[in-house]
Amino acid sequence: MIVCVAVVGHQNNPLYIESFTDADDALKLHHIVHCSLDVVDEQVNNPKKSGPTLNETFLGLLYPTENYKVYGYFTNTKVKFILVTTDLDVRDTDVRNFFRRFHAAYVDAVSNPFHVPGKKITSKTFEKG
Amino acid sequence: MAPAGPRSGDAIFASAERVNAELFTLTYGAIVRQLLTDLEEVEEVNKQLDQMGYNIGIRLVDEFLAKSNVSRCIDFKETAEVIAKVGFKMFLGVTASVTNWDADGTCCSIVLEDNPLVDFVELPDTCQGLYYCNVLSGVIRGALEMVSMKTEVTWARDMLRGDDAFELQVKLLKQVPEEYPYKDDE
Amino acid sequence: MGREVSESCVDSLLTELVSTYSTRFYANKPDLAAHSIEAIGYQVGLQLSERYTMDRPRFSDHLEAIKFICKDFWSELFKKQIDNLKTNHRGTFVLQDSRFRWLSRVSIDPSENGDVSEDNPAGVAENKASLVTKMHLNFPCGIIRGALSNLGIPCAVSADISNLPACSFVVRIKV
Repeated sequence: MIVCVAVVGHQNNPLYIESFTDADDALKLHHIVHCSLDVVDEQVNNPKKSGPTLNETFLGLLYPTENYKVYGYFTNTKVKFILVTTDLDVRDTDVRNFFRRFHAAYVDAVSNPFHVPGKKITSKTFEKG
Repeated sequence: MAPAGPRSGDAIFASAERVNAELFTLTYGAIVRQLLTDLEEVEEVNKQLDQMGYNIGIRLVDEFLAKSNVSRCIDFKETAEVIAKVGFKMFLGVTASVTNWDADGTCCSIVLEDNPLVDFVELPDTCQGLYYCNVLSGVIRGALEMVSMKTEVTWARDMLRGDDAFELQVKLLKQVPEEYPYKDDE
Repeated sequence: MGREVSESCVDSLLTELVSTYSTRFYANKPDLAAHSIEAIGYQVGLQLSERYTMDRPRFSDHLEAIKFICKDFWSELFKKQIDNLKTNHRGTFVLQDSRFRWLSRVSIDPSENGDVSEDNPAGVAENKASLVTKMHLNFPCGIIRGALSNLGIPCAVSADISNLPACSFVVRIKV
């Protein structure tokens, strides 16, 4: 299941982070998210010059840990989405679909005229086991 | 009087130049937010939105009359129906309904369940007194004034405040008899 | 999805926005009026760029992002693309729309832009109209600046209307 999702702004400022586990794990998950940002930067700044994944918003598996898989997504507007899941055999297409829906929800949230850029995002968007 | 009744709002909307509603929705939202920044007081923002709507209403009424084939000299009751069924449709692409008539036919409610102005909008706690869609009440007031009906328009329900629909109460204060006939050449 | 409104909604809102700021709020302070109108455009551009780039790969450089503004973004707003794009290759881009829709449709109400009295010849009225036009253009300039900033390209945007009805938007990227 998804244990943590995060939205991070272009200066690595957290815009939204939600973990779906015990409070004990939250800190660890935050740490994982934090570490994953470096991997995102690395991938974005030094793209492998090969093939179709170049400049795709979906960054794929950022890194596996013993218990989690961490996926990344990077929008045209320099916002990072991080997904941490305990499913060790997730299919890429499911993750892509999740990010697509998550992105749509994010875009609607920042379309609120009262949304302050760089401030948190509210409501919905956790789904799928 | 010409027997040709008002054209349906759907037909007018279908033939009108239309744009992507997002641009309109976001522009309106950005205006409300900038007004809050510049004017600070929520009450003042309500007032200015109403004023902007009023100015828009007095300008839009000509387009409305020209496109809708509505005769100028109809009574308040018909007018309210035409605004709801034709007016909202031809401009915003949504239909409103008219309810809650009082006994002497001078006060009614225009109810809107779908409203493109509020797509994406969530009012922050600091703006609880804000009538976000106040431009609409101004538009109705302005347009009616151009057809000689002085009205007072107030909000009875507001979905941004948790109600199940938008409801504008329109009260006819005074109907000024038409002095000279509207150009009769159409 | 795909919701539409009549174009007169947008036109009358913009007309009223400009009139509210430049003749009611800040009649004697055009700079303040321009600033607020630009800020409104900026927020709209920010949000629209978020929406319109959702399903596309990331841009690899500035030129690609500017081309996106000229093509897809402009088409969403005006049902046509920018007609001509020029650059000096040093961070300045000129986007020319040979018939900018908002200049032909948004009405400029002379009664609200100062009275034209007898000893106030047509030349003055014309000058006044051009000021109002310039005031209007703060909005699309803000939109372009908001969109590009959100795509990671901080810039300044101005408009040039010396060839009406064409309008050129000059984008200067900040380094």
